[in-house]
Amino acid sequence: MVEIQRVSKTFQKVVKEKTVEVKALADVDLSIRDKEFVSIIGPSGCGKTTLLRIIDGLISCDSGQVLINSRKVTSPGPDRAVVFQTFALLPWRTVLGNVEFSLELRGVPKEERTQIGRSYLELVGLAEFEHHFPHELSGGMQQRAGLARALAVNPQILLMDEPFGSVDAQTRQLLQEELLDLWQREKKTVVFVTHSMDEAVYLSDRVVIMTPRPGHVAEVLNVPLPRPRSPDDVRRSREFVELTNYIWESLKKAMRRER
Amino acid sequence: MNHRLTANLASILTFAIIWEVLGNSLQTILIPPLSQVGSAWLRLVKTGGLLENLLVSLGTLAVGFLLAVLLGVAMGVLMGRFREVEHLLDLYVNALMASPTIAFIPVLILWFGLGVQSRIAVVFLFSFFVIAVNTQTGVKHADLALVEMARSFGAKEWQLFYKVELPAALPMIMAGLRLGIGRAVKGMVTGEMLLALTGMGAMIMQYGSAFATDALFAVILTVLGVALIAMKLVQALDRRLTSWKVEIAVE
Repeated sequence: MVEIQRVSKTFQKVVKEKTVEVKALADVDLSIRDKEFVSIIGPSGCGKTTLLRIIDGLISCDSGQVLINSRKVTSPGPDRAVVFQTFALLPWRTVLGNVEFSLELRGVPKEERTQIGRSYLELVGLAEFEHHFPHELSGGMQQRAGLARALAVNPQILLMDEPFGSVDAQTRQLLQEELLDLWQREKKTVVFVTHSMDEAVYLSDRVVIMTPRPGHVAEVLNVPLPRPRSPDDVRRSREFVELTNYIWESLKKAMRRER
Repeated sequence: MNHRLTANLASILTFAIIWEVLGNSLQTILIPPLSQVGSAWLRLVKTGGLLENLLVSLGTLAVGFLLAVLLGVAMGVLMGRFREVEHLLDLYVNALMASPTIAFIPVLILWFGLGVQSRIAVVFLFSFFVIAVNTQTGVKHADLALVEMARSFGAKEWQLFYKVELPAALPMIMAGLRLGIGRAVKGMVTGEMLLALTGMGAMIMQYGSAFATDALFAVILTVLGVALIAMKLVQALDRRLTSWKVEIAVE
């Protein structure tokens, strides 16, 4: 269980040699159940990525706290793993080397980590590409490697920061299906940051709508669509359309208010 | 690659022919024909001590350059990694990199005398700063996304440095080495000409002042050969170490 309690964060920004305070998050409250798939959606500047980094422990919050299984988050830990928007693969390592990286940092012996690395590459469909370098792969394949690297440490919680934001639309849909498939089998808690309403509704149990300046939770929406979800049926269903419309209206209202 | 080799050979051949023809037709001591330079080279190898002098020069070059690489990379890493070190040393490194290294030779003579230490110091000073500055830039500008990724997966400080920042800086470090080896060769000859007369530098001075132009050119060509080979060796090392880099070269 992830409990986000009254989390606030302010950044100091230097604009024209003056220090300006930007309130990225204000009193964010959210609870995420075990093995739940939760998406956080909102326009740029609503602090969704900041929130994800606070959950991971990469940055600290000014006030409030994040609890994971009742323990306070102070730094990154083995119970969490991040999938990054920019893939963040090491260009000097092969695909397998990149997947092994997360295990290597934790001192897993060479043979064992190669074995684990290979099995996760197989899982994401990259088995034949283990000796390729990242720049030899398409964006979608690079992100599969990023996903394999995160899964390889067997985290309870997968933190995904707009993971499919920089791949083309067709690949994006494929990756979404594959992710759901994996999630159904591996059953992890997923916190998924996105700005795509379609993606949020299709994937999630709940969608958290955030609004900017300062970033806070405007609304939390249940997605009652049955699982497993076949992409074509789901996207054509009335509930799906209604839910995405509802999110859109909600976001519009919030953005108008801001103006 | 084959294309390039052919072009290189053609270029050398053309240059050699022009030199030979020009030398034969002008009949001046200023430009001896290439064939004459060639026979002077063979004579120098057999009886003139060219190889012995070459070994002296190469020894200085190797020691000076290796020291410059070791200390230059170490200092560049410290400057790139720790802002305090950078702020302390930045001024000096930039000033010394831009100023003519020859100006320090009198100081080196005072410190190290006229022996081999001074010549090694010259090679070192010629190549050290460019290696340090390039290393610093490389370490400092490691991709923040990769650093954050490593932190997120629980990298400790030394792992972050050893497994992310250092490999990320490698292309820049190698760029420093490529520039550094060229400067080191210059330092080698400069030291031998201005300090104790030994090695290639001594032969250049000796044959230059004796108007033995065929021998002079023979030595100069040898220096060019040393420079080229040293450069190619560093390039080969670079290609080996940074083969993962996205190739942007046009074939």
